Amino acid sequence: MDIFSNLWLGASTAFLPMNLLYGFVGCLLGTAIGVLPGLGPTATIAMLLPITFGLPPESALIMLAGIFYGAQYGGSTTAILINLPGESSSVVTAIDGYQMARNGRAGAALATAALGSFFAGTVATILLAMAAPPLAAVALNFGPAEYFSLMVLGLVASVALASGSLLKAMAMIVFGLMLGTVGTDVESGTPRYVFDIPELYDGLNFVAVSMGIFGICEILRNLECEQERSVGVKRVTGLMLTRSDFKRIIAPILRGTALGSFLGVLPGGGAMLASFASYAMEKRISPNRAEFGKGAIEGVAAPESANNAGAQTSFIPMLTLGIPGNPVMALMVGAMIMQGITPGPNVISDEPALFWGMIVSMWSGNLMLVILNLPLIGLWVRMLTVPYHLLFPAIIGFCCIGAYSINNSVFDVFVMAGFSVIGFALSKMRFEPAPLLLGFILGPMLEENLRRAMLISQGDPSIFLRSPLSLSLLIFAVVVLGLVLSPSISRKREEAFTE
Amino acid sequence: MYFKRFTTFAAVVAAISATSMQSSRADDYPSRTVTVVVPFAAGGNTDTFGRLVAEQLDKRLGQRFIVENKPGAGGNVGLGDLARSKPDGYTIGMGTVSSNAINQTLYKNLPYDKEKGFAPISLIATLPNVLVVNPDKIKATSVQELIELLKKEPGKHTYASSGVGTSIHLAGELLATKAGIKMTHVPYKGSSQAILDVVAGHVDMMFDNIPTAAQQVKAGKVRALAVTSLEKAALLPEVPTMASIIPGFEATSWHGIFAPPGTPPEIVEKLSKEVQAILAEPAMKAKLEGMGATPVGNTSAEFKAFIDTETVKWAEVIKAANVPPQ
Repeated sequence: MDIFSNLWLGASTAFLPMNLLYGFVGCLLGTAIGVLPGLGPTATIAMLLPITFGLPPESALIMLAGIFYGAQYGGSTTAILINLPGESSSVVTAIDGYQMARNGRAGAALATAALGSFFAGTVATILLAMAAPPLAAVALNFGPAEYFSLMVLGLVASVALASGSLLKAMAMIVFGLMLGTVGTDVESGTPRYVFDIPELYDGLNFVAVSMGIFGICEILRNLECEQERSVGVKRVTGLMLTRSDFKRIIAPILRGTALGSFLGVLPGGGAMLASFASYAMEKRISPNRAEFGKGAIEGVAAPESANNAGAQTSFIPMLTLGIPGNPVMALMVGAMIMQGITPGPNVISDEPALFWGMIVSMWSGNLMLVILNLPLIGLWVRMLTVPYHLLFPAIIGFCCIGAYSINNSVFDVFVMAGFSVIGFALSKMRFEPAPLLLGFILGPMLEENLRRAMLISQGDPSIFLRSPLSLSLLIFAVVVLGLVLSPSISRKREEAFTE
Repeated sequence: MYFKRFTTFAAVVAAISATSMQSSRADDYPSRTVTVVVPFAAGGNTDTFGRLVAEQLDKRLGQRFIVENKPGAGGNVGLGDLARSKPDGYTIGMGTVSSNAINQTLYKNLPYDKEKGFAPISLIATLPNVLVVNPDKIKATSVQELIELLKKEPGKHTYASSGVGTSIHLAGELLATKAGIKMTHVPYKGSSQAILDVVAGHVDMMFDNIPTAAQQVKAGKVRALAVTSLEKAALLPEVPTMASIIPGFEATSWHGIFAPPGTPPEIVEKLSKEVQAILAEPAMKAKLEGMGATPVGNTSAEFKAFIDTETVKWAEVIKAANVPPQ
């Protein structure tokens, strides 16, 4: 079969000692960077781009790809240990992962994240090898109308993210939507709520906002009652997973992988959506849903698998169509162009060694990551025993560097600082930050795609119903909304979640 | 009058910096690391050009030339930083048709003095745009047929762009004004989402920068009708120029290198000569041409004159198309 000769070609490229070495260096760097809050793969790849000029194209791209998925692994480590998502896709991991850490189960949470990511990475790589072109065709079917309907579904489902009062969750989503309107309006070019500050023309930065509202805010909360914190984190028990843990994570990992593989293909935030969506789904269907928000292992397994699968499949639009779906992919395209390869639909046939080499290296990279990360868990967990008055200045320092590195701008550091205060005030009033962030991500995409679809249809709203894909997404959204609003369920909800 | 005042000012600044700081004199410039501000995200065309040139300046002048990306507000954030940095030659920056010619009209407020502007070092390269259509949505195989179709069905067809007021959007407006046609503009955040929707057929057509568009054309995903440079593009030699159908039609995306206003002219001249020499090197030429770009390299005065004509040209298009100021 063709696929075997292709994979053989890929293996003979990826398993060259030099390429294995660059892959390993990439994974190592990526993990290290991912662990540092806020310092994401985009900044790292941008910094390391010049080093790759001298390398052969295959080695350069294998290393850059390693940084990308290495950062996906590393990002969850800080989310779990100190409630500081290093990556936008690990925001939801922080919800239950951090609670697990507080219950003394940090080791289990980290192991779940590593194993879930490895499984998802393997499946997504196989998918990439077997079905990249047809999956890319699916992505093409998603036009503005379909994106709009997907966002509506996402917004409705986001109510499920909250574990407190429904009304407060709604308020947070609306607040997030409002924050999302800051910046230049894409349709008309009119600046909104920018107060003549040029840095606001592109909107508030997600990483800065989420670091402020999660990470720094968590530090403020801990400093308020430092005594309590040392008691709050119970003694670390068992680094590895128990048999019952394994049983509990299998299904969420499978579901997360499936959802992540699919959403990752969609350009424009697909991988990020994947982690939110899979968490929301688990919270609805898991038999242990009452534990969500208090340290449910499913709440770590599902989004971690989803974001890693999504990270892998987000290569599909770039490799098969030559169109980058997110900023990291745009950087990879830049790296390819500098190497004299212009990515496009013909890359698979023109550069088979590069294409298949990268695919095989993704799998070997994932293997390296899991080997690299499992022994490190013990080390990370020991970090929790570091006295907090030593830990928090370091965290704040790294957060500032991370926020600065997004756009090389001090403004984002101020944004982070501002949102830490807002986040602190919200937590005092028992508002949860996760729905706010989801509204903040979905809002601009919802608005943009709504108006774009209406422009294309010349103002005819039936465009959302004529596309079968869009119609089914909307019907699904109505069903979910019905479930949320139906009185019996919502009463049960109140009972279950309000203390 | 104004120019005279400017040169006096520049001379004074040059004199002050020459006496107070030995290192800013042209003969021993550069004596330490130089920062190259790229006002756009890493990985894009401007960033690529900036890095290629910085790498060579590094080799030729024996000092590190470090690229620093400061994206935001269509290049205004980075250029604001550049304008505020010390005019001693140790901070220079990239600029494009958008950030240095279109934004002058498009934005009500710029974070720097529009009149003072920047000290142009050299134009690096121009990048033609190509008009591509989705072959299933638009049957026209030439610009003439397309214009006919759009005249028959005004406003019915859509064109995508990388955002309101970008050079890609204004190329569409230029076509609409010059050919007297009406199309519906569908803006996106960046060109990659836009070309994706043209390939998929959600939007009918767009002008796109040549390197990415050429790949889609070669793979048969979109049909190229014309390129917007005055000469045919090397990457798509069979595609006619827009100017051969609509005389004088030119809408290229250009990328150049600038110094803050008031940088000593000797330093600007030294850098300009180096950049021109770099762009004349066969290896560099081949690299840029492979990306679909036309390497240029010119003197500060030539570059300034070029920017002035471009600013006037796009100001007229923005006025004719009624693009609201931002």
